Amino acid sequence: MGENFSKSGRFPGAGTKWTFPGNGGQWRFPLDQDAKEKSLAAIQRAAEEKQLRYHPSFGAKLWNQIRFQSWKYRASQGAVLLLAMLLAFYLNQKDVPYFESITACSVFLVFAGNLCLSGLGRLFSWHMAELEETLYLNLKQMVCIGMLEAGIVDLAVLSFLAASTGGRGQTGTCACLLYMLVPFLWSDTLYLHMLTAMRNRQNEYLQFAAGIVCGLLALFPLLWENPYQADYLPFWGGALITGLLLLAAQIYRTLGNCMEIA
Amino acid sequence: MPQLVLDRVTRHFKNKIAVDAVSLRLQPGIHGFLGANGAGKTTLLRMLCGVLKPTSGEIRCNGTDIRVLDGEYRYLLGYLPQDFGYYPDFSAKRYLEYLAACKAVPDALAKERVQEMLHLVGLDGEQRQKIKSFSGGMIRRLGIAQALLNDPEILILDEPTSGLDPKERIRFRNIISALSKEKIVILSTHIVSDVEFIADQILLMKQGRIIEKGSSRDVTDSAAGKVWEYLARPDEAERLNGEFSVSNLRNEGDRVYLRIVSDRCPCQGAALAQPGLEDVYLYYFEELAEETL
Repeated sequence: MGENFSKSGRFPGAGTKWTFPGNGGQWRFPLDQDAKEKSLAAIQRAAEEKQLRYHPSFGAKLWNQIRFQSWKYRASQGAVLLLAMLLAFYLNQKDVPYFESITACSVFLVFAGNLCLSGLGRLFSWHMAELEETLYLNLKQMVCIGMLEAGIVDLAVLSFLAASTGGRGQTGTCACLLYMLVPFLWSDTLYLHMLTAMRNRQNEYLQFAAGIVCGLLALFPLLWENPYQADYLPFWGGALITGLLLLAAQIYRTLGNCMEIA
Repeated sequence: MPQLVLDRVTRHFKNKIAVDAVSLRLQPGIHGFLGANGAGKTTLLRMLCGVLKPTSGEIRCNGTDIRVLDGEYRYLLGYLPQDFGYYPDFSAKRYLEYLAACKAVPDALAKERVQEMLHLVGLDGEQRQKIKSFSGGMIRRLGIAQALLNDPEILILDEPTSGLDPKERIRFRNIISALSKEKIVILSTHIVSDVEFIADQILLMKQGRIIEKGSSRDVTDSAAGKVWEYLARPDEAERLNGEFSVSNLRNEGDRVYLRIVSDRCPCQGAALAQPGLEDVYLYYFEELAEETL
């Protein structure tokens, strides 16, 4: 290091004259007490301004949303899973025809989806949205967590039902998933719209009625003679893609409108 | 310490201008927004909280737009909305615990903080009761507790004392006064006494604009020479009451004491009086009302 300085130069940046004792080969700098105190004060100020903050992890945020949900909602989610298992078991045991099985599973999945999604309704009710929007974990994040949670339960229900009915048709498990997903996506889109459109009504009956209507809409394939045959698969594929796009648009709208909702 | 800067903040609702190019610099201290209903106070406060987006202009916290700060800004924030939301089936304790979790108060601290806040607003005895059984005043106190839960550096309170009885109102004022050190406290009200003695800065708001601002003394001084006292005969009192803005009227024996806010001497014998904040409020709002008419 010493080679970088001339013998009677200045220490770069410090502005302090330095000396070279010669015999010991050790550097000695005279201490500038004022500069030292100023530097220490600046460091202290910077340290005080540096606040230690707790930033909860995604898992902690998820857990916080889950643990403060009402027991009624938890119970209904449990009941949905249990009923899905019982339905799958019943359809297998009784060897119910494919057409009736798919119809029953579609309607059940739609009701299950709406029930799971109804947990979001709370966020938009009782004037809570405005306050929630100003919290560290804001309304948008709460809605995302709620949808994620509902999606996990729906996926479990869909798995039970598809596993029980998929193997019995000629079109296979993938087609079976398609038949169940189409009414599910369409009704979820509609129900999500109703949830935000009917916010702050404070009585839950309107939302409940919307859920029932959405469930009944899942019976629309009954309008055709045999909707679950292979010839109609392109139609079902188109309906699935449209449903996916509509649901994505509705989720985008809901999240984008969180501020206006608040 | 935080510093908030509002730079020509404007908000339109269709054709109506709710907040009109407001520019302000808010330092730690209590800032009381006074104004009649519809003056734009709530809209301004909602923009300060990030609930509403300004149509134009910018709100900066320590030099950075609050929209850019996002969660970091909300971390500093405590807010009591005018229409305070709550889950009726929650108990007060559970409700505050829920909000503590959403405000990222660490679990180890949250329980202690909840108890502290419940005690502060005098709800520790009712902490296990469901909120739906609370009176309006209790709900408002719970609202104040939730706003303070995360020890916010920026505290925004919209009509915080509505529904509180006089004793609760005094208690609230003392709480805010004690907690305001090194915090920006912004409160809006149309009740003059809420801010008269505790606010470091009073801002009078009318038709979306700040029409006067300053310390309580600065603001009251602006109406010096415009407040008059007079003991009138009943028939004379009736005439003066119709002709001028009267901030106080009371019977004193066979005479009527009048406190009149006017640019000119209302009648012979009227004496100049020291203006109070209520007189100022009346002066500015009456003046503007006349101008707009």
